[in-house]
Amino acid sequence: MLVAENLVKVFPGVRALDGATLTLRPGSVHALLGENGAGKSTLVKLLTGVYRPDGGRITLDGSELHLGGPLDAQRAGIGVVHQERNLIPAFSVAENVVLHHLPRRAGWLDRSRMRAEARRCLELLEVDLDPDTPVARLSVAQGQLVEIAKALSLDNKVLLLDEPTASLTGDEADRLYTVVRRLRDSGHAVVLVSHKLEEVFAVADTVTVLRDGRSVAEAEPLAGFTQGQIVDLMVGRAFASIELPERTSDTKAPPALRLNGVSTALGHRDVSLAVRPGEILGLYGLVGAGRSELAKAVLGLERITAGTVEVHGATARIRDVGEALRRYRIGYVTEDRKDEGLFLEQPVTRNIAVTVWRRLARAGLIPDRRERALAETYVERLGIRISSPQQLAGQLSGGNQQKVSLAKWLAADCDILIVDEPTVGIDVRTKAAFHELIAGLAAQGLALLLISSDLPEVVVLADRIAVMSDLSVAGELDNDHDYPRMSQQIIRMIHAETHAEGEVAAT
Amino acid sequence: MTLTATSRATASGRVWRTPEFTLGVIVATGFVALAFATGGNLLSAGTLEAFFRFLAVPIVIGLSQMVVLAVGQMNLSVGALTGFCAMAAAWLMLEAGLPAPIAVLAALALGLAVGVANGALVVLTRINGFIVTLATMTIIQGLRYGVNGPDTFQGYSEGLRAFGRASILGLPAVFLVAIAVAVLVALFFSRTVTGRQLLASGGSPFAARLSGISNDRSLIIAHALSGLLAGVAAVITVSASGSVNATIGDDLLLPSFAAPIIGGVALTGGMVSVVGTVLAAFLVRLVDVMQAQFGINPRWVDLIIGAVVLGAVLLGTVRQRMRERAT
Amino acid sequence: MTAQVETPAPPTEPPRRPRRIPLWANPRVGLVVLLILLVTLFSVIRPAFLDTRLTLTPLQSDISVYLVIGLSQMSVLSLGHMNMAVGRMAATSAFAMGLVHHTLGAGLLVSLAAGLVVGALLGALAGLIISRTGVNSFVVTLAMDFALVGLITILYTGVVDGVAFPTMPAGMEALRFDTFADYCVGDVCGPRIPLVVPFAIAAALLTGLLFRWSRVGREILMTGANSRAAELSGIPTRSRVVQAHALSGLLAALAGFLLAANNGAFSASLGDGFLLPSFLAPVLGGTLLAGGAVSVLGTVLGAALTQVIYKGLNLLQFQLDQLQLYIGLVLLAALSLDRARHVLAERRGTTS
Repeated sequence: MLVAENLVKVFPGVRALDGATLTLRPGSVHALLGENGAGKSTLVKLLTGVYRPDGGRITLDGSELHLGGPLDAQRAGIGVVHQERNLIPAFSVAENVVLHHLPRRAGWLDRSRMRAEARRCLELLEVDLDPDTPVARLSVAQGQLVEIAKALSLDNKVLLLDEPTASLTGDEADRLYTVVRRLRDSGHAVVLVSHKLEEVFAVADTVTVLRDGRSVAEAEPLAGFTQGQIVDLMVGRAFASIELPERTSDTKAPPALRLNGVSTALGHRDVSLAVRPGEILGLYGLVGAGRSELAKAVLGLERITAGTVEVHGATARIRDVGEALRRYRIGYVTEDRKDEGLFLEQPVTRNIAVTVWRRLARAGLIPDRRERALAETYVERLGIRISSPQQLAGQLSGGNQQKVSLAKWLAADCDILIVDEPTVGIDVRTKAAFHELIAGLAAQGLALLLISSDLPEVVVLADRIAVMSDLSVAGELDNDHDYPRMSQQIIRMIHAETHAEGEVAAT
Repeated sequence: MTLTATSRATASGRVWRTPEFTLGVIVATGFVALAFATGGNLLSAGTLEAFFRFLAVPIVIGLSQMVVLAVGQMNLSVGALTGFCAMAAAWLMLEAGLPAPIAVLAALALGLAVGVANGALVVLTRINGFIVTLATMTIIQGLRYGVNGPDTFQGYSEGLRAFGRASILGLPAVFLVAIAVAVLVALFFSRTVTGRQLLASGGSPFAARLSGISNDRSLIIAHALSGLLAGVAAVITVSASGSVNATIGDDLLLPSFAAPIIGGVALTGGMVSVVGTVLAAFLVRLVDVMQAQFGINPRWVDLIIGAVVLGAVLLGTVRQRMRERAT
Repeated sequence: MTAQVETPAPPTEPPRRPRRIPLWANPRVGLVVLLILLVTLFSVIRPAFLDTRLTLTPLQSDISVYLVIGLSQMSVLSLGHMNMAVGRMAATSAFAMGLVHHTLGAGLLVSLAAGLVVGALLGALAGLIISRTGVNSFVVTLAMDFALVGLITILYTGVVDGVAFPTMPAGMEALRFDTFADYCVGDVCGPRIPLVVPFAIAAALLTGLLFRWSRVGREILMTGANSRAAELSGIPTRSRVVQAHALSGLLAALAGFLLAANNGAFSASLGDGFLLPSFLAPVLGGTLLAGGAVSVLGTVLGAALTQVIYKGLNLLQFQLDQLQLYIGLVLLAALSLDRARHVLAERRGTTS
């Protein structure tokens, strides 16, 4: 039995885990649920030795475990499939599966034993894959199965699956869960982290719910809950308590940004959307539905193969972000703030002013004073907590980083703002503040396209919700902010799309 | 398209679509063309032997660079280290009066030791490997000069020099040594657990770490192996050239990069191509011989090699783009 | 990865302390201290070290050359790139200067300008190849170095049938031998500073101005810090890459010119020894290979330090081998110290 008690993990500026408790019994599937940023992945990484806890303890069958690294977790019999892909593309399937313990004979790689071992693990999953195929040639779903086979190769008693179906189709997910049930029946303890509640209810026996880094339900039988109750536990009171500014959008005004039947080189088909000034259009979809890629196509970073983009009624041909910014006043707040949104090793000042240096410059030179004044304006306006404008962006907490990432577009005076997953990895309190901020921007007359896979967030903020699935728009709804009804409609729309391939649901 | 580390074609890819095959065709065509152009002179015993004898060091030094490229590192000290080991071996034979086999082993051990030091410095200080080896290169250049100042060592072990001149079945012994080393390196990367772990560390350090592979260990092993191969190149130099001085190795740094890069090895790590590296060394040697045969200004060689390296990387990019577009 | 913070943070996000580097840990301060120590040491052991005509004046000329070549490397380090062809870009540009003078009889300034243009074009070409193909800058500039090494000799052989131009533009002699002390207004003469020094100072000031205050320079730095984020912030990253490499070529050309002035000839072997010092100066001065930050002052100090060591050890009649040994050791020691400083700063919990 694996027990984690009162685990604490602190990252600069945020307590990712603050007393999380998890109990795992052999022969059961345990669901670990929580909102984005609730601490699920952090907990998984503590249990597998990737991070070390700042407090609390982990015990296995009564004896305390000190996990100094991934190897220690493997020795203890804890296998994991992380959310991020962790395969070596140039290596064969077999080699990836047994990479932890490549079979050796006097230092040489024992290839036949490697293949046999890999084949055994693949057969456990009932996957028909040639062990000699390079992983680079596999589909995303196949890669996912290889990762699970890898986690099984060590005869682990405990298996942690972090969002295993995020990139799988319905059929593939069903097949995966058949395997999970079989593992349970053979005495494994399986932890399933997922945001797809239907799947969780179909396969899991017990549930732990994390909120704000704490366990709010701990190892309770799942049968005692309804989906609605679980959602309430995950979201907590923060959901009900947001006060958003009143705003009215002019429904007759011409759209600030409009996509007419846009198709892209990435496979988007016939996407049509429109956002008016002062309006928030929610673009909801699961990870992999192609939302961020669509935003990047609008900015000219991906090739548009058919259809047109209109800005304030005129056809726009946007070639790069600079043009989108200066000519069309479109800003894009990326979902990946660490890799795409911020310059972590640069001061906050520069992170904010980077979009407007052209405007600040006098004879080609940028006076520090002007830059600083500009940064301070936005630091104050967005309530960014910093000790000095010279502080490096990498030293801020997730929420403040996100505000900096947003500030540079506000500084650039954008009319149209595409905000991509604005509250991923941000704790609940900051999230509420962010929602107020976004609603406030719309109230000032900005046209906002809110890309999010956080359903409550979309329902709270958006005026209309476009649902995206498999690189096209499955349908659009007027939002009446009634969460249960909206969420049901949206989920149904996604399922209609995935189950009846090619059939586009009526708007 | 990624290459597996096998010395042969990729597991299920077709042989004639690999970059190695293309390179092989180019080399073979070049060789035949040059043989015709020189009126068969290239195929005369003496010329052919010289051709292969002076191919040995470029092959080994290219492999020496390749093993560090495999883990995403560079080793700027390979050339200087080769010279230093060669000088040390000569000094041991002439000044310390040790027999040749011991001097040879000492040169190999010295290369290995410096390699381990390089790796340990990279791991311990976390300073970029480029800078670390730049610093050790400077230090080794000083040491190399320190062995015998500006003077030349010659007249050491007759046996060793005889080995350098020896031929087996018309092929110089030193060339066969280089080929044997290449085979061993290929086997290391394709068939040993440690070799596979090196490639895993180079290709995806994070995934390797999660699979319980120590990336630090991989870095140290790669640098150690690189140093050892520089030692091998030193032994070949000592036996094949008959005299050594403090300038040995200065002209090896750039070729050490040229061979693996033309051979298709990426600087980002995670893949190697022994066949590509050997063929590329062959190609560079062809250009060399062409220059000698036609009395061209030797500087044209550098110009051509530079153009070939650029052409190779550009071709690689174009090929990748086309493949991406095709899928 | 394994960020460890000892004290639990209060529930609300606390304002975090800025990363304030203590004075002792600033790499530039360390360099200044080291410089003073070394100069004192050398002057005590060999009073000739303070001899203006024998030591100090030539030292200033040397520092000028190696400062400019350090700045040339620094310009691309700002992107996280390298320029392995600095020496050959310098030599090719110097050839262009010699050629313009030799065939057209152009004067000093016209020759210099022609050389600078050639240097900038070579750099821009490298930058263009890098930004268009995405091939590693190391490979591209290394191949370029190969190509130029061949080209230079061929050009010299073709044009002057030798390895150097026989004549120099008027004024080069003055740059080589004169100091400001040779120019007097009435009784007031200038200090004993070689005429090449102002070139280097101007280059340092302009480069500093560019990276510190100009939009283009800052955008180059942002491209180096995170090229994806730079692109998504509307920075034309491709042209910034080309511009940084062009600047590197331009400065390499200037360094070539200054060395030619010091040596008294435009020759084919000019710049052969540029590669190592070009990295030494900026790296000792705290510029990282990762890109995103540069230090012009650090590069000045780094260049001064290496040349003081060379000159001092030379005066102490150290051999070439020992010189290199010590330079290498100083580089390793300085970098290890810098690394230790970084680790210390991290321990204090100021970075994630």
